[in-house]
Amino acid sequence: MSEGVRPARPKKSIVPYFVAAAVLAFTVFAARQVGFSLSQIANNFDTARDFIGRFFPPDWGWAKENVPGPMIETIQIAILASIIGCTFALPVAFWASKLTANNRWVYYIDKWFLNVIRTIPDIFWAMLFVTGVGLGAFAGVLALIMFSFSIMGKLLSETIDSADPGPLEAARSTGAGHTQAVQAAVLPQVLPNYVAYALYIFELDIRASTVLGLVGAGGIGRVLEAQRSFFRFDRVMAVVVVIFVIVFLIEQVSVFVRRRLV
Amino acid sequence: MIEFKNASVTYRGGVRALRNINLTIHDGEFIVIVGLSGAGKSTLLRAVNGLVPVTEGSVVVDGKEVAGASPADLREIRSHVGLIFQTFNLVLRTSVLNNVLMGRLSKVPLWRSTLGMWPEEDREIAMQSLERVGIVEKAYVRASNLSGGQQQRVGIARALAQEPKVLLADEPVASLDPVTSHIVMRDLQRINRELGITTFINLHFLDLARAYGKRMVGLRAGELVYDGDISDVSDETFREIYGRAITPDDIMEIKG
Amino acid sequence: MSEIFHDTGAPAGRPEAPRSTRWIRWTVLVILVVPALWAASGLGISMQRILEAPADMWKIIRAMYPPDFSYNQVFERTLPKVMESLYIAWIGTMVGAFFSFILSFGAAKNLSPRWLTFVIRNLFNAIRAFPELLLAFIFLPIFGLGAWTGTLAIGLHSIGTLGKLSSEVIEGIDPGPLEAIHSAGGRWPSVMRFGVLPQVLPTIVAYWLYRFEINLRVSAFLGVIGAGGVGAELVSQLRFRNFQAAGTVLLVTIVVVLIIDTVSSMIRRRIIAGKAGEEGPTELFEEPAAVGVL
Repeated sequence: MSEGVRPARPKKSIVPYFVAAAVLAFTVFAARQVGFSLSQIANNFDTARDFIGRFFPPDWGWAKENVPGPMIETIQIAILASIIGCTFALPVAFWASKLTANNRWVYYIDKWFLNVIRTIPDIFWAMLFVTGVGLGAFAGVLALIMFSFSIMGKLLSETIDSADPGPLEAARSTGAGHTQAVQAAVLPQVLPNYVAYALYIFELDIRASTVLGLVGAGGIGRVLEAQRSFFRFDRVMAVVVVIFVIVFLIEQVSVFVRRRLV
Repeated sequence: MIEFKNASVTYRGGVRALRNINLTIHDGEFIVIVGLSGAGKSTLLRAVNGLVPVTEGSVVVDGKEVAGASPADLREIRSHVGLIFQTFNLVLRTSVLNNVLMGRLSKVPLWRSTLGMWPEEDREIAMQSLERVGIVEKAYVRASNLSGGQQQRVGIARALAQEPKVLLADEPVASLDPVTSHIVMRDLQRINRELGITTFINLHFLDLARAYGKRMVGLRAGELVYDGDISDVSDETFREIYGRAITPDDIMEIKG
Repeated sequence: MSEIFHDTGAPAGRPEAPRSTRWIRWTVLVILVVPALWAASGLGISMQRILEAPADMWKIIRAMYPPDFSYNQVFERTLPKVMESLYIAWIGTMVGAFFSFILSFGAAKNLSPRWLTFVIRNLFNAIRAFPELLLAFIFLPIFGLGAWTGTLAIGLHSIGTLGKLSSEVIEGIDPGPLEAIHSAGGRWPSVMRFGVLPQVLPTIVAYWLYRFEINLRVSAFLGVIGAGGVGAELVSQLRFRNFQAAGTVLLVTIVVVLIIDTVSSMIRRRIIAGKAGEEGPTELFEEPAAVGVL
């Protein structure tokens, strides 16, 4: 027979219940603030159904003429922004990781910098750049560069944090300088992740760039806004379908390539 | 020549890893270091190339003071000291040759190593290092495809590619099976003999220390408690160094 | 040459260098540079504009300083709107979490029949393809201006993103405990409660929190088209070129988002670390395939 002393039953904490109650209360409060209303959905069902009727059938004739141009512009914005944003993010990500930052200061400043940029939504960036450099695709590109840059910075720096520090120690012990050691020992470890993240960010950029035009930053968004203001929902629908198809296709390709990278 | 003079290492938090080490190693010597885990073997090794800075005293390598050296001086010293790790520390994703070329990092400018445009001379040295440890045929194989013993030999080749004056090995065979361990130890012995490189090896297994060592240094709780020729070493010596009886864990191969 | 390495004679036994490495480097460069140039020229972005941009932006930033910290601006205009964005994000995330959780079991290949997973997965993909702003844009004429539209847009989109992630988590569980419960005589409620849920809940809840962080940013800008939140305030201040007030809006938004981010990260870290007692990663995206969250 085992002679062990039975451990005392751990005290059940009351904290989780408090937390749950607080969360529930907040949720109810927030719901009322946003006007949560299932009944509204139910009551307006007919109106909604009529409205939806105005989206169909999509005006393909008009779309053939007026969609390809702006859509290509949208794609171009995304391409340029992801390439530039992800390229600049590469060194920045290394500075933002405890493992590879040159010193404490660089690390803290860089991390703080990335965090602040990340808090500003891409649309806000677009609005700022439109105010600064004028309407059009240039503002959109700049906005998405900030967007891509900050996401890649965060994702990559976290990947670097979990890289194997052993080879880095080995590189240092050969007398290599800091940057050389990092490039030889850590970069090869995270390169596949970097490429996967870049593809993923490209996907995000395509999605984001479709709506940038709503604030005047170029791309198909301005077409959407124009048609909406004319209440031509059938044309809006056509655009939406095109956007959906393109985003979907790009996403499939991206996922496919990323899977092969792992 | 490597000289420790009253060298001590105290980590943040108060742990005294090395206490007052006085040790002189002449060029071309082959030294094994034994001691319990935590006795300070790794620290002693890393104090030689400054990966662990000494907090008191001095460490002089080939006339250059390691303690308090500037980053540039430290890199210069390190370029002449090769370090071999228990866990090999290879970049698994890349080729064997690229791993060995890491030994040449201190000799080429940043842009060359980043773009992979190594000068012919450095490539030649890397290849010859691989030949010296006998796995040149794996030069373009991805490092992760090698066995443990092969990876360690790449680690040795990497250190050799530095054209070092000193070779440090931190428990180089602890992760390897007995047969491979002997191969690696014999490689290290041969390199010391043929190239005259001062060799400094931490060993966990006492039978290996006895079989391959020429001079033995024993550490206990950060202090140097033994320093002498291997032929004078007996089981009693080990018991003194360890401060306890020898267990089967301390021996690699149990005879009988 | 060197002291150590003399000429060891003809390099016998040395393997041939593989062709591919040089190739790859150039191909990569081309893949990057060509599309970038094509895009840049198509958009009419010249070097000149690029060089002028920082100066233009600096003008705006300078105009924002010092921000308008008047009581009116901060507490009557900005803060309520930022809180509104917070509520929108919260409810939107809850809605998304609730429905995605239920649906994700149907989308998990290890728990559901093929036809069901096919339908639900594609449903998720279809929803995910629409950026929230687009959804809000479509909902506006139906549900009108205001926070509810934004909430619905965020909620719907979140169902898609969270659904995909949750189903992947469920698919990745260890079948061992499930087998154990089955063989001990447990039926599917027990299997769920003791086998599936303990394995998936920590990660899924962590994803909910991360989604909340993102939705907060989304709800901030949905206001730009009138779907509630602080976006509308920013638009109007910029339109009237009240840069100092605009600066305030940005600042308050940044601060609130940072606070929520920090708190949420802390909670996420503790949830993941407590999972099966392992020292979990704070980085949720270890596999590129899992990087479909944002």
